[in-house]
Amino acid sequence: MVHILENGEHFRADNREPEPEPEGFGSGFSINDHLDLLIEVLKRLDGRSLGAAACVCRQWCAIARNDSLWEHLCFRHVSPPPVGVRPVVSALGGYRRLYMVCVRPVLSRLKRRRLGGESEVVRRVWNQHEVELSLSLFCVEYYERLLVGGGRVAGDSPSSSLKFLCMPVNV
Amino acid sequence: MGPTPYNSSNSSSSACSSSTKPPPPQPPDQMDHLLAGAGYKVRSNDLTQVAERLEHLETVMVKSSPVDISDIGNDAVYYNPTDLASWVDSLLTELNPNVSGSGSGSGSGSGSGFVSGSGPAYVSDPVMNDMNNVYGEFGQQVVTPIEEDVSIRLVHVLMTCAEAVQRGDMSLAGLLIDDLQGLLGRVNSGCGIGKVGSFFVDALSRRVVNSPQNGVVQVDLSAYENEILYHHYYEACPYLKFAHFTANQAILEAFDGQDCVHVIDFNLMQGLQWPALIQALALRPGGPPLLRLTGIGPPSLDGRDSLREIGLKLAELARSVNVRFAFRGVAASRLDDVKPWMLQVSPKEAVAVNSIMQLHKLLGPGGPRGPPVDLVLDWIRDLNPRILMVVEQESNHNQPEFLDRFTESLYYYSTMFDSLDACTAQPEKTLAELYIQREICNVVCCEGSARVERHEPLVRWRERLTGAGFAPLHLGSNAFKQARMLLTLFSAEGYSVEENEGCLTLGWHSRPLIAASAWQAIPKPSVVTTGR
Repeated sequence: MVHILENGEHFRADNREPEPEPEGFGSGFSINDHLDLLIEVLKRLDGRSLGAAACVCRQWCAIARNDSLWEHLCFRHVSPPPVGVRPVVSALGGYRRLYMVCVRPVLSRLKRRRLGGESEVVRRVWNQHEVELSLSLFCVEYYERLLVGGGRVAGDSPSSSLKFLCMPVNV
Repeated sequence: MGPTPYNSSNSSSSACSSSTKPPPPQPPDQMDHLLAGAGYKVRSNDLTQVAERLEHLETVMVKSSPVDISDIGNDAVYYNPTDLASWVDSLLTELNPNVSGSGSGSGSGSGSGFVSGSGPAYVSDPVMNDMNNVYGEFGQQVVTPIEEDVSIRLVHVLMTCAEAVQRGDMSLAGLLIDDLQGLLGRVNSGCGIGKVGSFFVDALSRRVVNSPQNGVVQVDLSAYENEILYHHYYEACPYLKFAHFTANQAILEAFDGQDCVHVIDFNLMQGLQWPALIQALALRPGGPPLLRLTGIGPPSLDGRDSLREIGLKLAELARSVNVRFAFRGVAASRLDDVKPWMLQVSPKEAVAVNSIMQLHKLLGPGGPRGPPVDLVLDWIRDLNPRILMVVEQESNHNQPEFLDRFTESLYYYSTMFDSLDACTAQPEKTLAELYIQREICNVVCCEGSARVERHEPLVRWRERLTGAGFAPLHLGSNAFKQARMLLTLFSAEGYSVEENEGCLTLGWHSRPLIAASAWQAIPKPSVVTTGR
C-alpha cells in the first residue's frame, strides 16, 4: 500500500505490514495503472526513498532505475544545471551511478560536518561548486576504472579514489 | 662512582670529542656517550639521579643567601666537574649540610628537568635547544611520561647523530645509531615520533654505512613501481589531489575563451590530473576547445610504452565526453634533457605548463651553463605560456649544511606523517609511507646530482620565478573554495588551506606542507634595431 502524505513531497513505500484501506479512495485505484503519476511521485523523493522504491517490485525497479529520475535528484536544488551535462554524465556512467558513488557521500560528508552529529533527513540546497566537484570526482573515478580494467564500467562499488568518501568521518 | 678508564680530555669542559680517540663500545650501564662527547663522565644508569640533584642544587643555590654562594667562590678547593655526580653531591653538602649526597627518594620527573635547561648553564648546547623546540611539535600527542622521555631522548640522539655525521665523525655516529635502534624498540613505532623516527634512523644508518661519495645509497625503482607508490600516495592523503584540482582550476580560468589549448605536463605518471580538466572543458559554456596534452615522463625500460598507454586512456575518456583531444608523449629521464622543439608548440594555441613537484629536482649542481632550473625556466618563458602552474613542497631541504637540512626535514616529515595517521585505508597508507620514505632517504642520504629532492619554500620560488621573467597570477576564490570543499571530504579534521599573496597552501594544523602558485610569462623584450 502506498501512503501519500499531505505535502506530497515525501512518502514511504512499505509493503511489509498490512494496512487498512484508507477511506475516500476507491477500492479499484492502483498506482501501477497510472505510471505517469508514479513517476511524478518518484521524481520528488530523496535518494534513500528512491532506492527503497526500487525494491518494491520488478515494475517499480525498472521505473526507479530510470536515469532521468536520478538526474532530477542530482540537480534538484541547483538551478539551472549546466547545458551539456547530460551526455557527459551518461558517458561516465549515468546519474544513478553519479548519485551513488559521488553525490550521496559528498552530501552526507558535508552535512555531517555542518551539523556535527547524526545526519537527519533534511532537505538541503547544494550549490554549483559542490555539483562541479562531484562531477570532477566522478570523472576521476571513471578514469581510474579505465586504468584498472579495459572495459566498460560495471557494478556499483566505487574505485579506490572515492573510498575516502565512503569511510565514516572520525571527528 | 669512582674513576673509570675513560680517555677524555679533562682539561677542557667544552663539547669537543674529535680530539680524543674513539672510545670502545660500552655496555649500556657505563658512561653515557652524549655527555662523554661533551667531556663529562656520568653513568647512564645514574642520569636520572644526577639530573634530580642538579635541579635540587639549582633550587638551593637560588634560595641561598649571597653570602653562602660567595663562600664557594672563594673556596680554594676546585671540584672537578668531569665527574658530574660527585661534583653535584659535594656542592650540595657544602651549601646544605642536611642534604646527604647519596640516594634520591623522589620519583620521576627528571626527564623534564634534564632537558628544560634549568640545570647549570654549561650543560646546554645548541643541540639541546633545538630538541626542545622539536619536542614542542610532538607535544600534541598523548603519551605516557616514560614514553615521553624516550621520545625526547630519541629526538635528541637523532640530532646529535646528524651533527656527528656533519662533522664526519662516523664512528660516533655509528654508536649513536645503535643507541637509536635501542630507543626505537622502546617507543611505539606505529605512530608519531616512533614511526617517522625509524625512517630517519634508517636513512642515517645508510648514510653512515655507505658514504654518499662511495656509491649508490638509494636503489632506483622501476617506473612501474614508482607509479604504484605515487598512486597510493595520491589516495591516502589529499596533497596531490589538492595540487591537481587547484592547478586544473587555474588552467581552466587561463584557457577561458581559447579554442586551441595545449597543456604540457612535466610528470605525467598515470595522468590522474587530466580527467577532471577534460570534463571541466567539456562542460564549459561555449563548448570544449581542441585540447592537446603533452606528457613528459621517464622512458620505460621494460618495453611497455606507458606514456602512450596513458595517452590512449585519456583519449578514450575525452572521446566519451566529446572533447577533441590529441596526446603526445615525451620520454626523458631528466627534465633538463627536454628540448623545446620536442614539445611542438604551435604559435596559435594557448599553452599551459604544469609542474607538480618537479622543478625542485632541477636545483642540483648544474653544468657549465648554469643550474638546470634557470635553463628550463628560460625555455618555458620562450614558449610564452598563458599560465605556468607550480606546486612545490613548502620546506627548505636544500640548505648547504647537512644538519640544517636534517632538522628541517625532521619537522616537515613528522608533520606529514601526523597527517597521514588519520588515513586508515590499507594498503594505501603503507605504500604512501614508503613513497614518503624514499623522499626522506634522498634528502638525508644522497648528495650531489643524486640528491634530487631539493625542496625550497614558496618565498624562494617567488624570487626565482620573478627573476626568471614571470609575473604572479592570483589563484582566485574559486580555487580556494574548491580546495576547502575538497578538504572537508577527507576524514581528518586537521588539514587547513590558506591563501598567501595569491598562492594557496595546504597544511596540517597550520603548518603549510605544500604550496601552489600560478605564473605568467612576461614576454621578452625584443631587440629592435632602428636606424635613427
